[in-house]
Amino acid sequence: MTDIHRRAFIRTAGGVALLGTTLGFPYLAMGATRRVVIVGGGVGGATAAKYLRKLDPGISVTLIEAKPNYTSCFMSNEVLSGDRTLDSITFSYDGLRSYGVEVVIDRVVGIDPVSKVVRTAGGKDFGYDACVVSPGIGFKWDAINGYDETVAEEIPHAWYAGPQTRTLRRQLEAMPDGGKVLIAAPPNPFKCPPGPYERASQIAMYCKHHKPRAKIMILDPKDAFSKQGLYIEGWTKLYGYGSDNSMIEWVSGAEGGAVEAVNPQTRTLQTFVEDFQGDVVNIIPPQKAGAIAFAADLVEGDWCPVDKRTFESSRHKDVYVLGDASSAAKMPKSAYAANSQAKVAAAAIVARFSGREPDDPTFVNTCYSIVGEDFGISVAAVYSLDAANNTIEPVPNSGGVSPSNASPELRKREVSYAHSWFKNVINDMME
Amino acid sequence: MTKNIRYLLLGVLVLLPGAAIAAGPSAQALAFTCAGCHGTDGSSVGPSSPSIAGMDPDVFIDAMNGYRADQRNSTIMNRIARGYSDDQIEGMAWFFARQRLDLKSQPHDAALATKGAKLHEKHCEKCHEEGGRPGDAGTLAGQWMPYLEYTMADFLTGKRDWPRKMERKVDAATAEQGEQAIPALIHYYGSQHRPDDRGNQHD
Amino acid sequence: MPRRIAPVAMTCLWAAALMLFIAPFAHAENPDPAVEGVLQYFDPETRERIIPDERCLTCHGDENQKTDVRDDGSPVDIYVEHGRIEASVHGEHSCTDCHTTIDRVPHREAPQVVVGCVECHKETWSEHKDDPEYERLEVVNKEIENFMGSVHASPSKLDESRTNATCYDCHDAHNIGELGSQQRAEQRLKNPEICGSCHEDELAEYRDSDHGRAVLEEGDSDSAVCSDCHTTHAITEPEGDAAKLAITKNCGDCHQDAQRTYFASYHGQVHRLGYTNTAKCHDCHGGHGVKGEDDPTSEIHADNRLENCQTCHEGATESFVAFLPHGDADDRENYPGLWVAKRFMQALIIGVIAFFWLHVLLWLFREVVERFQGRGFIEDLDNPEKVYFRRFSATWRWIHGLFAISTMALILTGTTLLFSHTDWAKAVVTFLGGPQVEGIIHRTAAIIWLAIFVVHLTIALINIQRKRKLGTFEWFGGTSMLPSWKDLEDLRDMFKWFFGRGPRPKFCHWTYWQKFDYWAPFWGTAVIGTTGLVLFAPEKTALLLPGSVFNFATLIHAEEALLAAIFLNSVHFFNVHFRPERFPMSTTIFTGAIPIEEFKHDHRLEYERLVERGELEKHLVKRPSRRAELASSFITSVLIMAGLALLTLVLIGVMTTPN
Repeated sequence: MTDIHRRAFIRTAGGVALLGTTLGFPYLAMGATRRVVIVGGGVGGATAAKYLRKLDPGISVTLIEAKPNYTSCFMSNEVLSGDRTLDSITFSYDGLRSYGVEVVIDRVVGIDPVSKVVRTAGGKDFGYDACVVSPGIGFKWDAINGYDETVAEEIPHAWYAGPQTRTLRRQLEAMPDGGKVLIAAPPNPFKCPPGPYERASQIAMYCKHHKPRAKIMILDPKDAFSKQGLYIEGWTKLYGYGSDNSMIEWVSGAEGGAVEAVNPQTRTLQTFVEDFQGDVVNIIPPQKAGAIAFAADLVEGDWCPVDKRTFESSRHKDVYVLGDASSAAKMPKSAYAANSQAKVAAAAIVARFSGREPDDPTFVNTCYSIVGEDFGISVAAVYSLDAANNTIEPVPNSGGVSPSNASPELRKREVSYAHSWFKNVINDMME
Repeated sequence: MTKNIRYLLLGVLVLLPGAAIAAGPSAQALAFTCAGCHGTDGSSVGPSSPSIAGMDPDVFIDAMNGYRADQRNSTIMNRIARGYSDDQIEGMAWFFARQRLDLKSQPHDAALATKGAKLHEKHCEKCHEEGGRPGDAGTLAGQWMPYLEYTMADFLTGKRDWPRKMERKVDAATAEQGEQAIPALIHYYGSQHRPDDRGNQHD
Repeated sequence: MPRRIAPVAMTCLWAAALMLFIAPFAHAENPDPAVEGVLQYFDPETRERIIPDERCLTCHGDENQKTDVRDDGSPVDIYVEHGRIEASVHGEHSCTDCHTTIDRVPHREAPQVVVGCVECHKETWSEHKDDPEYERLEVVNKEIENFMGSVHASPSKLDESRTNATCYDCHDAHNIGELGSQQRAEQRLKNPEICGSCHEDELAEYRDSDHGRAVLEEGDSDSAVCSDCHTTHAITEPEGDAAKLAITKNCGDCHQDAQRTYFASYHGQVHRLGYTNTAKCHDCHGGHGVKGEDDPTSEIHADNRLENCQTCHEGATESFVAFLPHGDADDRENYPGLWVAKRFMQALIIGVIAFFWLHVLLWLFREVVERFQGRGFIEDLDNPEKVYFRRFSATWRWIHGLFAISTMALILTGTTLLFSHTDWAKAVVTFLGGPQVEGIIHRTAAIIWLAIFVVHLTIALINIQRKRKLGTFEWFGGTSMLPSWKDLEDLRDMFKWFFGRGPRPKFCHWTYWQKFDYWAPFWGTAVIGTTGLVLFAPEKTALLLPGSVFNFATLIHAEEALLAAIFLNSVHFFNVHFRPERFPMSTTIFTGAIPIEEFKHDHRLEYERLVERGELEKHLVKRPSRRAELASSFITSVLIMAGLALLTLVLIGVMTTPN
């Protein structure tokens, strides 16, 4: 279908070019096919690819991703509790291909913003008119003493869903009743702000049924976290939080929750106050932009600065940085945010190709967390551009988290809507 | 004649892309942000968040206004709806009205759906025309069943005001089929995922 | 739903679809939105919702469920017979063309029926004035104007946000038939019930009336329905003059004879001038409950008539009911007395006028002929007369002056009644301040007029008495007003003179025409005065005389007055002012003096008698002062003009009298 479209376009473009110019189709008169190369097949990259083709099927879109299939990080905590399999959150890129996106499984090793070429490990060069970079996060391996990529095979971060998720699930299954799970939460900013706490919740849900005497301890360098009130309400209700017999314990930064080092052999996490030994240990390290962002000279500090109207890099023209790697304050690093940003960037690229100024952007973030059985909570926000300060601001009086002390019926509905959210985000980005 | 002029105008409008004036986000850009929950262009893939493609624009506006005023029992829609102006809501309403509703099949009890078809014809069809296809009484045909359940629960528990006359009709249906009435109707609507499904609910 | 798509629409849609295919641009929306899904129910230009009739008829056309319940639980009829609308004048309109407030289906709130009939009909008419297909709208718009001025268009006293009635309260809105259609015939028979849905008491009375029984029981569409009498749209408050006048006029649309005879009566005459506080059709016959005279419950049944008359004529007695309210002097069979009276009066008028107009013409002829021959009496204007004969004392001059003025006032006010069908009559009444003021003027003038008559009679009798005492009284003396054989001889000789067969006769103090000018009004005053008094005080009259006297009095009063009006303003004017010897006028009646030569010419015998007796000197006076002459000329001119104007009006009235 796409090929037919393209051929029809090429065949007729010349004929209508003159007419089109007079009628206000400057982009038709431009002639050659525009090329967009997308680096990274996560939420940001995939969504951008689909919407570019949707907005203008005349654009040639190539998406380059190292992994042949996409495994979503969102909902991967449900794999830890056993509510889902890893397969259920793994998706092929065939959906994107059906939109006419050329999906190349390869690793990008460099982007030359001057000659406008993307180079892969496979040795291929891809010239572009616009390049979308959506590399996700990378880890600051040196931030926690004794933790590196090799150790992570045994003491997983599982902050990219995949084999590590499976590893962590296996370790939980193997843990004896009465065992202790340690989760080292990262400092801000990091991908999926409620994630570490949902992870604790999902593990608690598993343990409640299978290892009722188990304990889960979150060691946190922060003194507050996302949806904190709602989590504590859920933990109190479901896991006895606050009582002597609480299944979950949260150690804040003020209480010495910041993990400084790990002893992989003894599964001991060291803070400046005391050491904690666990049966299963999960370290979510401090984060920064993904490696290719650094290689392509798109980073300032840990993240990639962008023009918030278009998500074009502040450092290099015609390169757009989306999702977790971008510095998109005040949007969180979430799947929905990346999805929303990708559509803004896609519309901006299409507008610029046709010689128009991009429209003002608009963003939404919604994020559900499943605290336990029939207990869902959410945060939502609508954002608009503050062009003067190049920031993205929540629209006043809108957004916020689920009401506290809501009815069980409402909490149950949020679980159902969380699953709808998951299916529709996947659908919107790549199906 | 006026109708012809309208079609001419329509033709002209289609020939003028990019006529939108860049004052704030376009209706399309606003509508794109809904896709994460309601599916691309408003056709939800479920399991519970409703499809809003092909929706009657006035019904959309009513719903958004209801959410903004906390007159509807929502999870997050009230928080989101408050982020938009009247004009933005109207723009989104027309965007979604123009989208083709792409319905997915969902598991349903065929026997129950048959009962529901009869109840619908008798009590609901006058307002929810053509088996509840999109119209000024909302979209029921092919809508995700959990959403229909939640909505009916809200009506029945007083968390959402009944539309005029609807309570009487639901009471009549319940009087006829007892507790099965509402599930039967929901299974009937859930079975209607193809445009030609009406009257042929055994699929 | 099948939709007819016109070629233009198809072409445009194809063009639109084609452009969407070949031009892959920034439109994420699905192609061809115009006929997709809910969009087919919206106007692509205005984005206004289009509600097809079929959608309305889903509920409103369901024969199995013609009623619904309102939000308060009360039942409401919602059924609309679509076939009827399609067959009506509005058949091509969709429901929402009229029901413009319906913007959502199903209705979000209980719908209010607010239909702007007036606005739409006005706009459509102004857009299609030249299109013969829409010509009926002219009538509709006239009726709209009538309605807008009617009591129905005024705010209701109970709810000022509403009018007392609106179009569809009376018109079966979904069933407006073409002219001559079955729907319209049906609607006519339904008219009383429709009006009666508000005017319940009136309907109850009507139901029991001859009209009501014919329409409602027998389905006789020729009998009167409400709108026949009250009009369809120009309905004003029944207490107002406009309604009363209109209703009386409308009765005559069917009851033509009754109306003709009514307008010949005093009641009808004064009513026709716009005075409504007099007996009108419905005052005597009953309005809504009108019945024939044989029905014992009828207001005009013999047993009920006196009471009926007493409604206005409080002192009316048994003999009052002998009045013939529709007495017809042209109907010999039923009203022989009136017929005879009218023939007599007409013969009198025709005889007198014919004779004297002939007299006038011949006289004119003779004087003109003599002028050409250089003979006859010619006033020497270069050497005006210095010696005058004193002919009238101040008393008579005053009496004549007042009599003339009051007569003219009576003619003016009286003939408006007699000729109430004319436009001038209505204009005069309006100018004078209405029928009531006019009545007061007429009666006041009549009293003055009669008083002068009595005073004149008294003076005349005193003079006779005085002369008797002096022994100078002679029944047929030279200054006597009594007709004598000499007058007949003079008349005969005058005619001879007219034909050139003899000399102009010599006259005494009063010529025969002067005597006639005197005795005609004398007789007229007696007759007109008597009949006038009868009509002035009907209740008192009826103590002595039967009510039919009013019919005769009305007839004779009018005919006699007509005779006087024509005679005085034509024959009398000629005799005194217009014959060439006197033209343009004689001021003698105001100055009291006549030039001695003129006196000699017209009253030779009296002159000779006075000379003979040596009494002439006693009567000679100086020429009146210039001021007196000017004043007299002025007054005479005004009176002559007024008299001629009256004559004109009267002749117009006579010539335009219906029938």
